[in-house]
Amino acid sequence: MIAEPVTPTIRAATRRSLFWVIAIAFAVIVALITLIARGAASGGTPFSATNPAPAGSKAIAEVLKQQGVSVTVPSTFRAAESGLRAAAPSTLFLVDPDGHLTEARLRSLARLATHIVVLSPTFTQLKVLAPQVAAAGVVKKASLSSGCDLRAATNARTVTGTGTGYRLIVPGTDATACFGSGKSVFSLIDVRFGGRSVTVLGTTDALSNEHVSERGNAALALTLLGDSDRLVWYLPTIDDSVSGARSIAQLTPGWVGSVAALLILVAIAAAFWRGRRLGPLVVENLPVVVRASETMEGRARLYQRGGARLHALDSLRIGTIARLGSICGLPRLATVDEVIAAVVAITGRDAAAIRGLLVDAVPGTDRELVRLSDALLDLEQTAARDIRPTQSQPT
Amino acid sequence: MAWSGWFVLLVALGILPIVLFDDPTWLLLWLILVTVVGIVDLLLAGSPRRLTLERRLPDRVRLGETVSSELLVTNAGRRRVRGIVRDGWQPSAGARPTRARINVPVGERRAITTALTPFRRGERRAAEVTVRSFGPLGLLARQASIAVPGAIRVLPAFNSRKHLPSRLARLRELDGRTSVMIRGQGTEFDSLREYVRGDDVRSIDWRATARRNDLVVRTWRPERDRRVVILIDSGRTSAARIANEPRIDTAFEASLLLAALATRAGDRVDVVIYDRRVRARVQGAVGADLLSRMVNAMAPVEPELIEVDWSRVPSLVRSVTSRHALVVLLTSVDSAGGSRGLLGMLPQLTRKHTVVVSSVTDPSVLEASRERGDRDAVYRAASAERAILDTARVSAAIRQLGADVVTGTPGDLPPALADRYIALKAAGRL
Repeated sequence: MIAEPVTPTIRAATRRSLFWVIAIAFAVIVALITLIARGAASGGTPFSATNPAPAGSKAIAEVLKQQGVSVTVPSTFRAAESGLRAAAPSTLFLVDPDGHLTEARLRSLARLATHIVVLSPTFTQLKVLAPQVAAAGVVKKASLSSGCDLRAATNARTVTGTGTGYRLIVPGTDATACFGSGKSVFSLIDVRFGGRSVTVLGTTDALSNEHVSERGNAALALTLLGDSDRLVWYLPTIDDSVSGARSIAQLTPGWVGSVAALLILVAIAAAFWRGRRLGPLVVENLPVVVRASETMEGRARLYQRGGARLHALDSLRIGTIARLGSICGLPRLATVDEVIAAVVAITGRDAAAIRGLLVDAVPGTDRELVRLSDALLDLEQTAARDIRPTQSQPT
Repeated sequence: MAWSGWFVLLVALGILPIVLFDDPTWLLLWLILVTVVGIVDLLLAGSPRRLTLERRLPDRVRLGETVSSELLVTNAGRRRVRGIVRDGWQPSAGARPTRARINVPVGERRAITTALTPFRRGERRAAEVTVRSFGPLGLLARQASIAVPGAIRVLPAFNSRKHLPSRLARLRELDGRTSVMIRGQGTEFDSLREYVRGDDVRSIDWRATARRNDLVVRTWRPERDRRVVILIDSGRTSAARIANEPRIDTAFEASLLLAALATRAGDRVDVVIYDRRVRARVQGAVGADLLSRMVNAMAPVEPELIEVDWSRVPSLVRSVTSRHALVVLLTSVDSAGGSRGLLGMLPQLTRKHTVVVSSVTDPSVLEASRERGDRDAVYRAASAERAILDTARVSAAIRQLGADVVTGTPGDLPPALADRYIALKAAGRL
């Protein structure tokens, strides 16, 4: 016998799979390039001063810089604090939709800044920064007109309205409300107390790169944010949310990450160890198992479902009559009447009853069918017993 | 390539240095160490491709018996090969054990013995031998499958051979009785011998007596050199299982017993397995050669899921023999619809030959017709009675066409068919 290896050598396997490896690598590279190219155009942090994507707000920040406003973009709370401390008249632009800052931190920011512009503030932020203002739901108007004498609003005249609306809940407050959308809901409320002012701004779309050039959006943004020489553009991140508490990374020992990585590798190695097959599967054609009694079972269920009681009983009767005939010693071609006469002679039962059992009775219910079938079996047994006189009359 | 559990353990042991030195760089160092050790181990492993494999195997085995198959592994490579060998037998070959450990030094040879207990008739094959050769550390292994084709032919069990001695005795009895000069049908002239007291006076050959001046009688013996044609149906109905045995296997059992008996009785037996074309044919064999050729021909035949073409059967029989013969059809007589082809063809056969139609009956049908416990059972009994009636009607129709019918459960059919043969022989109808 000639033994020849069927497993390809490493060289052959490489050659065979080379095309696919190159094809997959090419596809991955193309996907990466597309992702990088498109990644610049979409996504990124909304309202970030460094984000040139449609959702970002780099346009406003750049124009402000050109106009001579010093824009600082702190990444941490400490940096934001020190940025506000550095120069006395300073504006803070705060965007924190996820509420990362605690009340204490908000309060400390509020003390430091002369003017705070807060974009769609959360409940906590409103409570700390402008307790006279409350949120009043979503505003979906395409355009809002100023309707007040705030400089930023009169410069802008109309702005893109999409965003959040607010209303003043404490009457008699020193406040200006602009861009009303009916039912005393406003998209801009400027509250003044002491020497400071807080501007609650709801027109989110107006500040994004995508819409800043429409209507008076740019005028609104530039006037609001450029009212002092210093602007601190602060977007709190998740790192600013924890104050004092230690993170999980600080609590666990340093080797945990490495051990976890190693355990993943061990799991992969174990999977390959158990999963590697010792040679190809051996194929075999298996015969179909067809039980011959299946047709009988099928016919029985058909009788049952169709309620063919008389038909079923007739089948049983034909069998019984044939067996009774052979018990009585009659020829195979004997008629039913001859069989009945012979059975009556042997068993001594009533001829009409036997005729009814063997020919006439029609079962109306399943219960009756079972009873008749039992009677047929009983008749057979009686006939078989009675034909042997020694057994029926023991001495 | 493959690796062992030890290799996985080695990778896992990297936890120790990482935790002890508390430095993530140890992860990288450990992985490099493991890779280097693994590659060295893999390079030192003997090549499974350099093994020379040879199979030693009996070419046939009777179903239910055990034979041993030997695989000779010769190391023609430059390094010792130690590892696991798997011989890829088909599952129904019943190979035990399926895996073997080997350790073959350079230039030496080892034998791997596998016991085969096939549990299905036919050709059982082994396709590939897979060798996994580990390095000296037992971590990584080289693996290759090597095609070493092997096949063993699994013959029908012929369990009914237990009935053969009693039937042969009956046959000898038949022989002995007719040699006491009972002249009649089914006997032919044997020899002349001297008269002894008690011989039938009617068989005295007066012409020979006159020549020899002594009373001489003629002796007779059962007729010999008759033709028996066994036709086995391998069509769709023969696939059905009765008492967990396909009809075709019962037919094989019955035909083997009949052939064994007939060839001892001096008759010539031809076997054809047929559905729409001839699946197997044994012609012109006598004695022990007949049975071995029969089982060989039957071994690979499986039922086909097609209807039998009965119309071609008479010409098939004519191609086997032009003389009068006993034609045994091993098929099924189940329903009038299914047997229409058979019934239409029978007159052509019965005109010239003695025909016996043999069919397996299902013992579970008879049991079901007796069981009347509840509603389901009564309907089943009714259906069983109907099935019995159908069989009886088809049998009656076959008898009317001049053929004989033998039915029996899978266990009873082979001896019943043998008995019918003996009866026909005694009656001189061959």
